[in-house]
Amino acid sequence: MISYLDRKLWRDLRRLKGQAIAVIMVMACGLAMMTMARSLIYSLDSTRREYYQSNRFADVFDALKRAPNSLVSRIRQLPGVAVAQSGISVQVTLDIPGLEEPATGNVRSVPDVGMPVLNQLFLRSGRWPAPGRRREVLVSEAFAQANHLHPGDSLAMLMNGKRETVRVAGIALSPEFIFEARPGAALPDNRTYGIFWMRRKEVASAFDLDGAFNYLSLTLAPGASERQVIAELDRLLRPYGGLGAFGRADHPSHVRVSDEIKILRTISIGFPVVFLSVAAFMINAVLSRLLALQRDQIAILKAFGFSDRQIVVHYLKFALVMVAGGTVLGGIGGILLGHRLVLMYHRFFRFPDLEFRPDRPAFPMALLVCAFAAFTGVFNAVRRAARLPPAEAMRPEPPANYRPALVERTGIGYLLSHTFRIAVRNIERKPMQALFTVAGLALATGILIVPNAFRDGVTQVLDYQWDTVQRQDVGVGLVEPDSIEVEHLFERLPGVISVEPERRAFVRISFGNRRRQLAIEGLPSKGLLNRVIDESNHQIQLPPHGLVVSAKLAEVLGARPGDLLTVEVLEGRRPTREVRLAGLAEDFAGMAAYMDIHALNRLLEEGDIISGASFTVDRAKWDAFMRALKNIPRVSWVAVKNSLRENFRQTTAASIGLIEKIYMAFAIIVALGVVYNNARISLTERARELATLRVIGFSRREVGTVLITELVILALIAVPLGLLLGTGFAAEIVKAVNTETVRLPLVLTRANYAFAVMVVAVASAVSALLVLRKVNHLDLVGALKAPE
Amino acid sequence: MIEDPGQVIEPAQVFRVRGLTKVYGMGAAQVQALAGVDLDLYEGELAVLLGPSGSGKTTLLNNLGGLDVPTAGELLYRGTDLTSADEDDLTTFRRERIGFIFQFYNLIPSLTARENVALITEIARDPMPAEEALEMVQLGARLDHFPAQLSGGEQQRVAIARAIAKRPEVLLCDEPTGALDVRTGIVVLEAIQQVNRELGTLTVVITHNAVMADIADRVIYLSDGRVHHVRKNTTRVPASTLNW
Repeated sequence: MISYLDRKLWRDLRRLKGQAIAVIMVMACGLAMMTMARSLIYSLDSTRREYYQSNRFADVFDALKRAPNSLVSRIRQLPGVAVAQSGISVQVTLDIPGLEEPATGNVRSVPDVGMPVLNQLFLRSGRWPAPGRRREVLVSEAFAQANHLHPGDSLAMLMNGKRETVRVAGIALSPEFIFEARPGAALPDNRTYGIFWMRRKEVASAFDLDGAFNYLSLTLAPGASERQVIAELDRLLRPYGGLGAFGRADHPSHVRVSDEIKILRTISIGFPVVFLSVAAFMINAVLSRLLALQRDQIAILKAFGFSDRQIVVHYLKFALVMVAGGTVLGGIGGILLGHRLVLMYHRFFRFPDLEFRPDRPAFPMALLVCAFAAFTGVFNAVRRAARLPPAEAMRPEPPANYRPALVERTGIGYLLSHTFRIAVRNIERKPMQALFTVAGLALATGILIVPNAFRDGVTQVLDYQWDTVQRQDVGVGLVEPDSIEVEHLFERLPGVISVEPERRAFVRISFGNRRRQLAIEGLPSKGLLNRVIDESNHQIQLPPHGLVVSAKLAEVLGARPGDLLTVEVLEGRRPTREVRLAGLAEDFAGMAAYMDIHALNRLLEEGDIISGASFTVDRAKWDAFMRALKNIPRVSWVAVKNSLRENFRQTTAASIGLIEKIYMAFAIIVALGVVYNNARISLTERARELATLRVIGFSRREVGTVLITELVILALIAVPLGLLLGTGFAAEIVKAVNTETVRLPLVLTRANYAFAVMVVAVASAVSALLVLRKVNHLDLVGALKAPE
Repeated sequence: MIEDPGQVIEPAQVFRVRGLTKVYGMGAAQVQALAGVDLDLYEGELAVLLGPSGSGKTTLLNNLGGLDVPTAGELLYRGTDLTSADEDDLTTFRRERIGFIFQFYNLIPSLTARENVALITEIARDPMPAEEALEMVQLGARLDHFPAQLSGGEQQRVAIARAIAKRPEVLLCDEPTGALDVRTGIVVLEAIQQVNRELGTLTVVITHNAVMADIADRVIYLSDGRVHHVRKNTTRVPASTLNW
């Protein structure tokens, strides 16, 4: 049977339902975000771990020019190597019906008989290419979906210059391609880039690699040093054109997933803390008011012999009910949102089975965090009330002590209306309460800044990437670096307005003991198409000597302009040179290094050679240009800027939009909750005073003004603080997103600030209206009876 | 005994009340607070409403002051029907005509004595300066004190000043001395008497203390929601001579 004290609890709660719901909603938002983010981390992390384990994802990878198969047994004998697997990895151009630009692919070999030992594939549908059956491939799922390919379909593939028609035997996934994007591209475009697997014999014969391999994966023996194995491997493969071995930390797909988890981790801590602090403030405000109103009741309970402990527990139960409500709602909300976001991750990350997995320990933790927030919020208030001697508590509270407010003491008091005086004196008399309200409102305002800053940052990155940096219409890469003559061939293609050559060379850049592997891009010193831009948005003229790198790469290496970097070329003659770091480029995806194309060619000691080009093309002759391009066998890949952009808009941007909407909804709930709660408390606290004003002849509007003035003053203080706070939040988020694969600029627009102010203003207005409706129902007669 | 309105000739009639009924609640829980009150109140008089708890004194006063609307009956203020007035009309009526004084003062705690009074002058048509109103209740020296810094009697006198500052035509006082000791209560009654005398305001005072009836022109006895009888005092006793 429910105790009478609990019955009182329920009835009091029913009376406070507006406020209780506001608190529960804010708390639920924080918890939803926390369970969502933590569960996503858990889902991604554990799914990836299991996938790596079950499909034996390798530890170290290396690409090379060509090595005899006999070398593999020597590699297996290297100390620290557990399992080594050789294979073939080649670039092909594809002709997909309905796709105007040629797509490109990476063809990987699978053993002629049986399955790979490392980086095992997961067959989604269809079957494995039959041994002995020619021209059968497995296609990566992302590419197959984007191009509507199914087992049994065929497509045209330019293999080493020869056009072949291949049949899709099955759709597959690989732990090496959870994130599937063209090397060097930070954003996936699954329409124009895909992974294929073919029986080894067939690839080998098409690319003249019989009895040889050009790709290597290996796992480390327990306790082996990755660095040592990599050094050994580099030494061994150097004569065979080794491009430099790298571990998982440099593996593009692995790093991309890790970066995502890193970002989620920041979100899972930062945001819930903010939301729960707001909720704690709110519970504190609601309960301290309730306690003040129930002073006499507390006294009577004590007079009848209830212990302090029983009374404390009784009031803590209010907090508990709200915590329970918040936890349940937040948990359910987090799971629902998590499910939706997991679906979104399917667009980026390809797992055999990425399911939403609730992070179970997150729930008790959420409850604890929440309860802690609530109980710290109320404990002092409750204890103070319980300590009151009954006789004292039964007397009505003495009239509150007031004094002229600070603004009045400055001598401009005579300018103030009475309503304004009532408001400022109230604020000054209860500074803590005012502080909590201001804090709550400021936090709500601050939270509002973040989603739009995120959106504006992404928009700027894209505009920057596609309008400022890349001014070409089309970028083209060659299968093999070729002489400058190719440029003349390009110039004669139909519709070409301008061409700029590009030379890419795979290198390892090191400074001190830090190093990274990437391609140096050689560009014309003052290119008009593919441009290098500095922090202040000006084009950098590439110097005749020296290297310009992404600011992030310099940060990773710990190098500053003027430092000498060691550049170890991993192809061709493989020279190693000291090159001065001449400048820093601003970019937001991946890391890059740039050199003047002539300087790079001098460094490579190979004469005037290009590996690709950028084009601007006459729109009227677009189709002819594309057709011509598809027929040049030396072309390995083609990137059409507008279709990349459109594809991005439809996939990634939509997903970012979803996250942004979730944040926005949460921020609005908090803003509404805080304002409504505060106005309600104000109303309860001053019902008597306001009713008196009504009795002596003030109209509803005038009484409303008294109530609203205080709220407006607090809002005027809180909003600028909130904008500052939001700037800080946004900066923190940007910092969290500052990874090697993706970065965001801190973009804070006036529109963003204005929007936050507007939402708080509207939320305030709506709450004010809700509360003003209650002013109409003030109990005028009741207010004149004995004080509560 | 019910007074015949036709006999009174000299002062103008302010309130005309006939068969005034007020029922609270529904069904079994119904309470009849007023069960047909007939009463007239005149300009300048000081009337005391006397009666035991639950006799309907406060309900009658609230109806006269436009805080509450009757269930049935006639309630005219200078010929205007208050029973059909809407909320806005009643607000205007209270604002312009009525001064209220309550048992628990109901001052705004965040405003000083002067400001509590001045607050009313902001919304009144022809108010007296707050200082003058406070002077009338002998509080000229405590203008800038907050309610918490004033004694109960002083707070009540601020409430009187607040009520009279708008020069109301009617002053309604619900147990104005109920929360005060004898000596302080007398000071407050003196103030009320003085206002009535000097401003000629129709003043209605609720009390359950029969001794206080002597300060009135007329004493109206209520019981069971009706006017039981009305006593006319030939002489008004100054409040200072009262003792209870």
